[in-house]
Formats: sequence, C-alpha cells, structure tokens
Amino acid sequence: MFFLYRKLLAASIRAQMQYKLNFIATAVTTAMLSSIDFLILSAILHRFDHVKGWNLYEVGLLYGLASIAVSLYRVLAPEIHDFERYIVFGELDQLLTRPVSPLLLLLTRNLELSRIGGAVQGLVILIVSLGGLAGQGRVTWLLLSYLPIAVLTGLMIFFAIGLATATTAFWTGQLKELQTFTIFAPATAANFPISLYPGWLKLLFYSVVPVAFLNYVPMLYLLDKGGAWPLLLVAPLVGGVFCWLSIRFWQFGIRHYHSTGS
Amino acid sequence: MIEASGLVKTFRLARGGNGTLGALKGLFTRAYTEVQAVKGISFTIREGEFVGYIGPNGAGKSTTIKMLAGILHPTEGEVTVAGCSPQRERKEVAKRIGVVFGQRTQLWWDLPVRDSMEILQAMYKIDDRSFRDAMERFNALLDLHEFLDIPVRKLSLGQRMRADLAAALLHDPPVLFLDEPTIGLDVVAKNKIRQFLREINRTDRKTILLTTHDMDDIEQLCSRIILINHGQVMLDGTLDQLRAQIGLPSVIVAEYREPPAITGVLDGVEQVEQIGNRLVIHYDKRKTPTPRLLAEIGRWGEPVDIQMKEPDIEEIIRLLYGRVANPARLSYTSFSTWY
Repeated sequence: MFFLYRKLLAASIRAQMQYKLNFIATAVTTAMLSSIDFLILSAILHRFDHVKGWNLYEVGLLYGLASIAVSLYRVLAPEIHDFERYIVFGELDQLLTRPVSPLLLLLTRNLELSRIGGAVQGLVILIVSLGGLAGQGRVTWLLLSYLPIAVLTGLMIFFAIGLATATTAFWTGQLKELQTFTIFAPATAANFPISLYPGWLKLLFYSVVPVAFLNYVPMLYLLDKGGAWPLLLVAPLVGGVFCWLSIRFWQFGIRHYHSTGS
Repeated sequence: MIEASGLVKTFRLARGGNGTLGALKGLFTRAYTEVQAVKGISFTIREGEFVGYIGPNGAGKSTTIKMLAGILHPTEGEVTVAGCSPQRERKEVAKRIGVVFGQRTQLWWDLPVRDSMEILQAMYKIDDRSFRDAMERFNALLDLHEFLDIPVRKLSLGQRMRADLAAALLHDPPVLFLDEPTIGLDVVAKNKIRQFLREINRTDRKTILLTTHDMDDIEQLCSRIILINHGQVMLDGTLDQLRAQIGLPSVIVAEYREPPAITGVLDGVEQVEQIGNRLVIHYDKRKTPTPRLLAEIGRWGEPVDIQMKEPDIEEIIRLLYGRVANPARLSYTSFSTWY
C-alpha cells in the first residue's frame, strides 16, 4: 500500500515537472500572496497588541499553526479540494475501475507543491512568535514537543472538513461556494483566538468545523490560559474522530455517484 | 461470466439554484427531476462471448456498463461479474475486469506510456515475469514498442487507443468492457484494433462487452447483439436473428444468360424487378427459405451469376429505432424533497 502510494506520488510529481515554467510561476505567485497576507496581519497586530487577552506572540503562535495546517492540507490534498470537476466531468469513473481505494488515488494524483510557500510563511511566523514568547520566559519543552502534534491535528481537521465538503458534491455537483464557509472562513478564523467570536460561531468552531481544536484549545493549557492538561489529548482525538467520520461520509457519498453521460 | 438481472438506474437530476445562496439552500431542500436511464435490464453473458451492446445515444448503454464495472450503484437489481458483485466487492471485480472508455484515456496523461504500465504493474501487483510476457505480447500485437517512451498526450488517437487496450489487459482480466473503442479512428487504426480484439477473444477466451456506433465493429466482431433503447432490452440474439426479426427483405440478384420467364411467384417474395437479363428479388427469409427460392430461380431460366445481399446493419438499426423510438415513453417525474 505504502509502496504504491509512493510510486503514484512520484509519478504525479514527474508529470508536474513536465510543466516547469508553470510550476515556478505558481510558486512565486503563492509566495507573493502569502507575504501580502503576512503584511496585513502584522499591521493589524501592531494596532491592537492584545486580542482578548492574547498578546502579539500568542496570536502569532495560533496564526502560524493554523497557516501551516491549512497549507499542508492544500499541498497534500489538492484533488480533494478541487473534487468538483471529478463530479462535473465524470472523471471519478476511471478511479473507480481500479482495485485500490479512490481516496488513495485522489491523494496521489497531484501534490500542489507550489502551496508549500504558505506553510513556510506560517513556520516563519511560528518561529518569530516562539522567539518573542521565549523572551517572556514562556516557552516550555512541552509546548515545543506539542507543536508537531498540533500541526498533525490541524491537518486532520482540515482534511476531514475538506473531504466532507467534497462529498457533498455527489449530490450538489458544486463545491466552491460551500468551501468558502467550511474551509476558507474557518481557516482565517483560526488565525485568532476563538474567544473572539460570538457564541453561535464559537459553537460552530467547536463542532461542525472544529478548527478550535487545531491551535486554540491546546494552547489554552500550554500558554496557561486556564485550560487543563487533558485538552492536549482531546484535540488530536477530535481530529481523528472527524477524519473517521468524514471518511465514512465519503464512502456513503460514493454510492450516490452519478457519473456523466458519455 | 456477466450476469445482470432486473437492473434499474434512476438518476435524480438536481435543478439547483446558482450562487452562494443557491448552494446553501441546495443542501437542505432540492427540486429533482427523476430520469430512469435503465429500466429493468437482464442478460447473461457466458465465458468467451463477444457481445455488442448497442443502441442510440441516451439508450442507457454507458449507464449499464458503469453499473457492471462498479462505478455506479444500481437503484434496483443485481449484477455479478466474474463471480463477484461490483457493488459489494468493487475491488475484487476491478481485478477481474479491464475497462476502456474510448472518449477518455485511463493512462497518465503527462507521462510516457511505459510509466503508466509500470504504475499499473504495482497497482495490480503483477509479478515481473507476467508483466514482461504481457508487454512482449502487446509489442507483437499492438506495436506498443513504437511509442512506449512517448508521453500519452503526444500520441495519436490510434496509438493512444492501443496503449489504453494494453493497459486494460495488463493484469490479464477475464472480462473486458469496451465503451466506443474505435470512436474517431481511421480505417487502418480501426482494423488494427479489431484484429487485436478478435485475437484476444479467440485465443485467450476473454469475455468482451462492446458498445459502439460503428456497425462494422459489430459485423466483424460480435457473435451476439444486445440491443437496447429507452433503457430496455429490445433484442438479444445474433446479427442474423436481428435481421430476421425485423423482417427486412433480403435481396437476391440473379443474372441469366437469356431473359428469364417467371412462372408463378412464391409466398414471401415481395417484389421482383426484371431489367433485361437480370432479376432483383426482394423476399422475406422467414416465409421463403433461401434454398427454395434458389431452386425456383433455377427453374426460370439458366442463371450465370447469383448474388445475395443482406440488409445493411445501419438500415436495420434505423428501422428498428424508427419503430420503437417513442420519446413520450420516457418517464419524467418532478417533485421536491426535504431532508
């Protein structure tokens, strides 16, 4: 299984490299867009250096984690993100004639390497913020060793949301509008402390689109904001459960695949 | 090898709203148009049969094939392919079938053909020896080696189709589904593909189900025809049975040494034209067996040449469709559902 995954990934990278110029252009554009994002954020943070009791570096930590997680999701699962066309043009047909899970085939068909710029930008913000927090003497070994777990949790959460959103295309045939609500808006929201938002939004971020768990919830404990240590376990657990649920939903959805007339 | 019983496929076509609001609304309430693409199709195909699955556009051909291949789930009915259910054991069925969609390649578009083959080898867990043997065979039968190192997107349509066929057969599946494999090809390329298909059907006893609009494909390849229209089987039999069922007059052209003298007309002979020494006789095979008519022809004079013509297959299809085509029978029902 892993061998096949690697072989398929290698093939799609080789295929992408057939269009080197296109690849470079996309990478440069993405990096530029990321920088603009970053500039806007620092401008905002310099005006208000406290957001609901979270200082600049603490927010930077949340921002960095959210940014890395969503970028990695976009790098690893571009075909799930653009699943619409598999439905609209019936491209899922050919994946379903293979003796392998269509999800594996989707995940290996493409790696959007040019999106890695977003993850690098998030990483830079994360490191800068950690530096600031270290100056305040608040960086613990536990915090540092938890960061990879937080990234993984975030990746699971975005993957789960992305897959569940993609699955709705089996009925609606369209994704782009829904993605604004389920992925783009929550990903932006997760850049800031969830306590910032009104009650009903908070409820959404803890339940349907559980982005609160990818950074805010564990940081409540790690940055000593009044959270207890079990939160560190709850967060990845929520990520795992949501992944499982969305895969089940996907398997249910695939039975309703319509294909297209030839 | 392939068994379908009572297959029904109903599509719910969403009449969705546009824009953000439409998409949101579409999640909760939705107006549907229900279209029954396949309405109770049953057939059994034995090992080694070469079956032409034909019908006009929108008859339900592709929908049936997609249900057999495990792509679509039937609304009602049961399918078994090579002993497995494509719905419950999709992966098992996938190992036992090869699929070619003429409209769309199954290969990796930007990679050389060789790379696709190697990926498929890993995907279907084909051991090196079987892989080498299969590739040698494809080189011999399809001249695969001529374009093995060219990216698929740069292949001609004919080359691409040959590569697709090789890819579909690499794991040596007993069953092959071909959806319009000769579409858009020139005569030479078509012949090459047909020769190949005949070879694997006869030598390897592959069971093949073929959809096509090309009547030459059917005439040259298929031992059996399943003709469908409006999602139902209209006819299941041989090409001759199809001809006979429609009762299209067969034609005999007889050339005589001297102008013949016609003595009495047999039952079933519909028309006799006499042009000098030549007779053109239209008759119905079911009423007048050909040997009887031939004997009769011999009595009318001294024939020097006799030609028999079967009705053109395209004519048959047109006649049959003319007779059964009835768009009013398409069932459309509209209603709205709440989730």
